[in-house]
Amino acid sequence: MDFIKTTEGNICILAVVGRMDTLTAPEFEAKCAECAAEGATRIVVDLSSLEYISSAGLRSILASAKKLKALGGGLSFCCLSGIVNEVFAVSGFSKLMPVFPTRQEALAKA
Amino acid sequence: MKRGLSFRLSALVLTATGLVLAAVVATSYVIAREALLHNAEANAKTLAQALVSRIEAVLAPIPGLAQGVAYDLEDGDLPDAAVERQQRRILADNNAVYGMAVAYEPFAHRPDQRYYAPYLCRTPLGPKMINLGGDSYRYHGMDWYQVPRELDRTVWSEPYFDQGGGNILMSTCSLPFHRMENGKREVAGVVTADVSLEWLKRLVAGTSVLDTGYAYLITKTGTYVTHPAPGVAFNETIFSRAEEYGDRELRRIGQDMIHGGSRFVAMKSLHTGKDGFLVYAPLPSTGWSLGVFYPRDELLADVHSQAMVSAALGGGGFLALAVLVAFIARSITLPLRRLTAAAREVAGGNLEAPLPVLAARDEVGELAESFANMQTSLRQHIRDLTQATASRERMESELRIAHDIQMGILPKLFPPFPDRPEIDLFASLTPAREVGGDFYDFFPCGEDQFCFLVGDVSGKGVPAAFYMAVAKTLIKAVAESAAGAGQRRQDGEDAARAQRRGPDPGRILARAGDDLAQDNESCMFVTIFCGLLNMRTGEVRVASAGHNPPLLLRAGGDAQYLPTHGEPVAGAMEGVTYTTDTLTLAPGDTLLLYTDGVTEAMSPDNELYGEPRLMALAPELTGRDTREVCARVERGVRAFAAGAEQSDDITLLALRFLGAGANAG
Repeated sequence: MDFIKTTEGNICILAVVGRMDTLTAPEFEAKCAECAAEGATRIVVDLSSLEYISSAGLRSILASAKKLKALGGGLSFCCLSGIVNEVFAVSGFSKLMPVFPTRQEALAKA
Repeated sequence: MKRGLSFRLSALVLTATGLVLAAVVATSYVIAREALLHNAEANAKTLAQALVSRIEAVLAPIPGLAQGVAYDLEDGDLPDAAVERQQRRILADNNAVYGMAVAYEPFAHRPDQRYYAPYLCRTPLGPKMINLGGDSYRYHGMDWYQVPRELDRTVWSEPYFDQGGGNILMSTCSLPFHRMENGKREVAGVVTADVSLEWLKRLVAGTSVLDTGYAYLITKTGTYVTHPAPGVAFNETIFSRAEEYGDRELRRIGQDMIHGGSRFVAMKSLHTGKDGFLVYAPLPSTGWSLGVFYPRDELLADVHSQAMVSAALGGGGFLALAVLVAFIARSITLPLRRLTAAAREVAGGNLEAPLPVLAARDEVGELAESFANMQTSLRQHIRDLTQATASRERMESELRIAHDIQMGILPKLFPPFPDRPEIDLFASLTPAREVGGDFYDFFPCGEDQFCFLVGDVSGKGVPAAFYMAVAKTLIKAVAESAAGAGQRRQDGEDAARAQRRGPDPGRILARAGDDLAQDNESCMFVTIFCGLLNMRTGEVRVASAGHNPPLLLRAGGDAQYLPTHGEPVAGAMEGVTYTTDTLTLAPGDTLLLYTDGVTEAMSPDNELYGEPRLMALAPELTGRDTREVCARVERGVRAFAAGAEQSDDITLLALRFLGAGANAG
């Protein structure tokens, strides 16, 4: 799993590439913690290149979201597609998390 | 045969040393032999010369004696008595002279006397004077008289037996004397001095030459005067002998000898058959030649014994050296052998084997040090390996624990309610190697009510297994307490209605979700699909907490996924509410619950099994009993995975409503 990290103002944008499963999920948590440590507690996660997400991936999203919220920030998602979109829908994460169709909308509401 | 380093070292050193030693011994033998031969030649010549001198000392004066008589006869007309006196004096003074004669020419002494030759010779009774000559002894024709007369000089005769004269084996030295006759110097007679050859034979034969060496004497014509072989003396000449044996070398030597040569030559003795050296020298007075033969082996005996001594010394030294070299080689290789033994022990598995401590800072010492380092790293490696194995075993045992928790908590008795013919239920859970945290459950929940559910905990392993156990227990507790609450309010109208309908699945999930979300530091969560079936009416009320939509298989052949509201997983947050949907099952309808282990099963090409494939399976599932439904779905998924490792638990729960009127059995 790879990350492409950019910043827009004080918002950190993380594009996740690859598969987020039991093995790689901790990397996502670590990456979010890294952004938070750099002061960017509001993070937009671009999932357009994410091929697959397992329940462990969802758990790490949940954990990161809780930590960022405690810091006064938040985690929002954009550009979901395919199986990832399905998983978000079925697991109800679309209702738990702020999800936007495009990056611009996510940045505007973040 | 195994040969150690010390053996090879010793063998090489000793071979080299042995070769050098042998070369030294051989060289010194050759040098000593040459020196000794040289020395022997000188000695042999001296010996031969000494013998010659001894013989010469006897023979040399004899011509002078005869000459003296001849001079007296020439100078004056001596009376016979004076001549006889002179003969007697000479015999008395010279032991070597056997006899002496003064032989006159025919009629030279007295005109009437043909033979006149007074001869004084030794007899056992003393000197005796006889007169030679007569019809039986015509001396004028004999060699001893004829030859010197004709040659007109002193001549030594060949050895002969003087028959009728001295009657012994002798050689005669003769010389002519003259008278002036008519102004001319005429030969008047011959003076002779006989020498017995017996003493010469004794002298020469008695000369000891080493052990088997010998001396011999030959005359001017090569006739043997003495020879150690019996019958050779006087009968054979050196040339006849050379002819007899075909020995051309002997013939050449013989020629040189009679011509007065003197040499030291190597030859083989015809007498003893031995190799050796011959030294010969002439006897000047007679023109004879003396030969002395030295056997080679006896001459070189000293050299041989010296060679034997030096060979023995060399051999002894070599043996001493061998012992010394073997000892040194062993002492050099001892540390190596000790190290080898230790290495063998280490190789055998005893890593604690003590290594020999070597003080020497040589190659072996370095080897020992490297070996000690190797042993240390090996020990470290084994320790690491042991730790790694232990930790892997711990992990394996954790996985086993997780598996045991998961499987231990699930109901496994099918059919679960043999006394309720209205339902046919089967569930199966195929755990992944790393336990995925799936679970299912079913239990009666109030009168005619039957609760069934399937869940999937986020994450894997022991934490997921524990969370799953907690979630399953919690849901059952919540559901049963809700059912119990309904029963306690049995008296009221609402209560009766509640009793009839049983607990509400949405409410169960909401309460269980709140409980799970409290103090959920690990942020784990669970997806649950929960349903309650009224076994009399076939009415099913369902709620889903982020779970995959179940597949409804109508008896008529229709199949559809139940619609979801996209409501969140349980345990993620507090205060989440869930919608309860209601549907009615007709007899023969089947509801298939599953976890994402089914739809997210992977093919070797990383393709997901997906809901469409499950739906495609629907026609062959319709109308089957629930055990068969589960088996067919599992088979389908396994065929799709085609050997790819199962990454998540696969859980199936099939519920078939057979209608209130169905009979048990």
